[in-house]
Amino acid sequence: MPVVVIASPKGGSGKSTSAVLLGTELAHAGAQVTMLDCDPNRSLSLWGERRALPPRMTLLVDVTESDIVKTIQKHDADGGIVIVDLEGVASRLVSRAISQADLVLTPMRATTLDATIGARTLALIAEEEEALGRPIRHAVVFTMTKGIESKQHRGIEASLGGQGVDIVQPSLMERAAFSALFEFGGDLHSMPAQGRMEEAIKNASAFAQAIYQRLTEAPQ
Amino acid sequence: MSDQPKPFAVDLKQLRSRPKDTSPAAIQSVDRAGEQHGFVARETTAKRGRPPSPRTGQVHAKVLPHIADEIAAEATRRGVTQGILIEEAWALYLAQKSGK
Repeated sequence: MPVVVIASPKGGSGKSTSAVLLGTELAHAGAQVTMLDCDPNRSLSLWGERRALPPRMTLLVDVTESDIVKTIQKHDADGGIVIVDLEGVASRLVSRAISQADLVLTPMRATTLDATIGARTLALIAEEEEALGRPIRHAVVFTMTKGIESKQHRGIEASLGGQGVDIVQPSLMERAAFSALFEFGGDLHSMPAQGRMEEAIKNASAFAQAIYQRLTEAPQ
Repeated sequence: MSDQPKPFAVDLKQLRSRPKDTSPAAIQSVDRAGEQHGFVARETTAKRGRPPSPRTGQVHAKVLPHIADEIAAEATRRGVTQGILIEEAWALYLAQKSGK
């Protein structure tokens, strides 16, 4: 079953939020989802400790550089979707996880700094594709976006699009409900209403569908 | 009318995955590719050197000089600490005491 690796060496780009939104929405849609928390900051563990995991979800914590490949391999074969949340640093753990991915998702705030550092992941993927002799599908999702796109956002999106980078639509907007996931645990459907809840659910669901769509397409 | 979006359903049969190479050679080449871009090993490795001894108790024994010399020589001959000889002597003492 497919492995989605959420990777960016930039801290605070929205990796864990994207991982939780993707995992919970796919599980809500009926998929069996295994989340791997490979971040020493244990963001997913904090989320998982707030309340019982939503149905069909499993969370594995403290996955390290030495056991990442084996752990992914083990859960790749168990009939669910594997989502790997990585630490925001350039590490061997990241490069090994990417080698096992069906899709690498790079969350990125629409800032020049995020785009510059996030681009290192794209360069690494290209290098690994050559080393492994197979294409590794990857996509960028903009996170914490505003209702009105900034000029900088449009510029970065156009630049990435011009280089053939797959950009997930919709982006993940800055929503109170998204950050509150780490306060309440669970998913958007079971959480007490935060801000414009329906819009948040709509955004997260459309994002998960966009990723699901990519996971159903034949490998490149 | 609810404004709730129509939930989508995941069809597991539609999901596509490809086999991944997990051989040591493939992982080595991935590690090399990563290092070129600064994706290096960052996990702390195990401490080098001898692991700490569990023998943290201490006895304050004064014995006759020739006994001290014999204990030291026997420990050196066997390549163990003098504490291990004392532990063995104590085990013998307990066994003797209990009549076994």
